[in-house]
Amino acid sequence: MTKNLATILFTLVILLPLQVLVFRNFVIFDMGFCFVYLLFLLMLPRELSIALEMVIALATGLVVDLFYQTIGIHAAAGILVMFLKPYWQSINSPRSGYEVNDLMLIRTYGLSWYLGYATPLILVYALAVMFIEAGSAGLFGITLLKATITTLITLIFILVIQYLFYNK
Amino acid sequence: MRQLLAFLVKYRAFLLFLLLETFCVWLIVQNNDYQRSAFTNSSSQLVGSINQTSKNVGDYFRLGKVNEELAAENARLKALLFSEETVVPLDSMLSQEIDKDTTDRIQYILMPAEIIRNEIHLANNFFMINKGAESGIEPGMGVINSFGVVGTIRSVSENFAEGISLLNTRNKVSVLHKNSGRLGTVLWDGRDPKKAPLLYVTPDIQPQKGDSIVTSSYNAVFPKEVLIGTVEEVTRDENNTYLQIRVNLSVDFAKLSYVYVIKNELKVEQDSLMNLIPIDLQ
Repeated sequence: MTKNLATILFTLVILLPLQVLVFRNFVIFDMGFCFVYLLFLLMLPRELSIALEMVIALATGLVVDLFYQTIGIHAAAGILVMFLKPYWQSINSPRSGYEVNDLMLIRTYGLSWYLGYATPLILVYALAVMFIEAGSAGLFGITLLKATITTLITLIFILVIQYLFYNK
Repeated sequence: MRQLLAFLVKYRAFLLFLLLETFCVWLIVQNNDYQRSAFTNSSSQLVGSINQTSKNVGDYFRLGKVNEELAAENARLKALLFSEETVVPLDSMLSQEIDKDTTDRIQYILMPAEIIRNEIHLANNFFMINKGAESGIEPGMGVINSFGVVGTIRSVSENFAEGISLLNTRNKVSVLHKNSGRLGTVLWDGRDPKKAPLLYVTPDIQPQKGDSIVTSSYNAVFPKEVLIGTVEEVTRDENNTYLQIRVNLSVDFAKLSYVYVIKNELKVEQDSLMNLIPIDLQ
């Protein structure tokens, strides 16, 4: 448990500054943003209550917002993801079932499970951010495209970071 | 009563979710609005200094480009200076004409500043500069660089200021088609950061590819005839009411570095006159 807590805190301390200082400047194909800090939100264990998770999402989202100058948008998207996360987890459970106090990472339940778990949540996040930011459905096509590319890029970065730094 | 409590307890997660989302929506409405940014303003001191540090590191990688840009601007200004030199007429008495007092003719003051953060990929983009209220920056001032219009200042803290980029789907700029003098509006459509549509130009004039689009000075923000871009493509819309013109923006927003903030000395006077008009006629 302490080890898990250390991993979570360490991820937060490293990823959040990386997100706002480095990854903010990475926009691939002029369309794909890279929200690596979602790795932190997605790895929180099932034992945390939804309420606590949503408050955490609010706090981290606001920090990201301050630097993207989009106050409230990332926070709103993060809260939405955190609210959906437990339901999605219980629908999409790994074959062996969840273990107590496990972090939601590739190393615990495998890649195919993780893809099924993370992809829709990241997509929801990207869609929420892009559509709230555009403020209307006027740019529907391009906003949808942006959200899709953002999802792919974010997913790739999250996978790579896990393979590099979160091995057993 | 007990049932109500049971209901609240049962759906407490959902209720908290609604509460937090409402809070976020409130934040979004309060701060992402066109002119208001109370929250960002109070915190931009801290965020600004972090951005400044991060920018300082990044600057080393872009020194070459910035140097080139500044050199190009120097060259342009020198050329301007030389072209001002007038030929002395044979009868030198002709050049002895005494100008009337020129001190009250300085309407625009340019204050140099550096962009420390900039977005171009969102639908509503903003930038931040490293000068603030201490240097005399105020909300509503125009921002240009040596190539053309960059945006307008929207909120100011002690040492930093935030601006609305021209690449913002809510930032309208009043412009002129230089050759015909026809008025129009440039409003970015959120697609290509290098191009923007020019609206409300009727088809009775024929803009050509390459025509200059400049600011109109009707809004007391920008001086007259600051370049915005050149006409790239002209098509007629189905109803034939307005031309659909795409403008190639002269500023490369992807590599903004040094900008000038424009202070209009006569803005208060212009605006106060404007305010004399009853609201329903404005």
